[in-house]
Amino acid sequence: MAMNPMEQFTIKPIVPLHIGGYDVSFTNQSLLMVIVAVAASLFLTLAMAKRALVPSRAQSMAEMSYEFVANMIQSSTGDDGLRFFPFVFTLFVFVLFANFFGMIPGSFTVTSQIAVTFALAALVILTVIVTGFATHGIGFFKLFVPKAPWPLLLLLVPIEVISFLTRPISLSVRLFANMLAGHTMLAVFAGFVVLLGGAGGALSLLSIAPMALIVAIMLLELLVAFLQAYVFAILTCIYLNEALHLHDHH
Amino acid sequence: MAAQEPESLRELGERLDEAQRRNVRRDQQPPPTQLGIAFRFATELVAALLVGGALGWGLDWLFGFFGIHTRPLFIVVFFMLGAAAGIRNVMRAAKELNAEIAAHPASSVKDDEET
Repeated sequence: MAMNPMEQFTIKPIVPLHIGGYDVSFTNQSLLMVIVAVAASLFLTLAMAKRALVPSRAQSMAEMSYEFVANMIQSSTGDDGLRFFPFVFTLFVFVLFANFFGMIPGSFTVTSQIAVTFALAALVILTVIVTGFATHGIGFFKLFVPKAPWPLLLLLVPIEVISFLTRPISLSVRLFANMLAGHTMLAVFAGFVVLLGGAGGALSLLSIAPMALIVAIMLLELLVAFLQAYVFAILTCIYLNEALHLHDHH
Repeated sequence: MAAQEPESLRELGERLDEAQRRNVRRDQQPPPTQLGIAFRFATELVAALLVGGALGWGLDWLFGFFGIHTRPLFIVVFFMLGAAAGIRNVMRAAKELNAEIAAHPASSVKDDEET
């Protein structure tokens, strides 16, 4: 019986593959990412296939997620942010599905790997930087220059630069840490159930207590799974808004 | 009968509008949970410290590479700058949170009034 709560996060190669000295094996991680991407695309395509005027349950779920993200972008970046809808929507749906697929017992949580979340966050920040320079040119650097007397700027500009560089880190660490902590907690309590159950006698009866706790944490984790996808998407919107409008709030 | 129909149609339209308005309010973003807020602030603060420290360490390494002995000057300075940036991040996050709450004033309170 594997009692290590971190064991669930180990990446195991399924199809070993080495190219040019790099390990590019197809792992359980890759498998889950493929499943997530396929499931999300299939769900959205199939749900919208009929385009019924009176939506079925699946169709209204797809429509709701569309409206949810569209509203989110519009309220945080304004109308010109809507051209980033495909980007933000894809991010949101991918993270959401990855989180939810991770909740299936025995599966693998893609978003509990810092490599994955950091890649997503880096993608967001690169988009922000490219957008910023495309819309403002060199004026994008004004983002790092707050309104202050110039001697203070010597101190404030480095602070602003560090603050900007923080974003990919905090964006990725938040998602990764939430998933890691939640799933570790579940595994730890599951370990208690096994230990108490195997203890025999009256102690075995006690194993109901951690079991009940697991159910509660499971529900909490479902909420966290959604909330973290939401937070990831809304922060993307907020950062895009800054790139589009610099400091002037519309 | 013919005169009544537009009347009832308009009524229906009004009711639809109202229903839609109610729906829009319900579709609004989830209120941030206490834990979510705490976690957000914590990561902002810690990430800034890490970035500041890493930048300082990198600069020290760079200067050391060219034979100028600066360690631990830059790491100390940038660690402090990182702390300042972290606080700046938290202030900004708090501002965003305030704006969010101001935009959708106390949805939970409003729901209580409706029921």
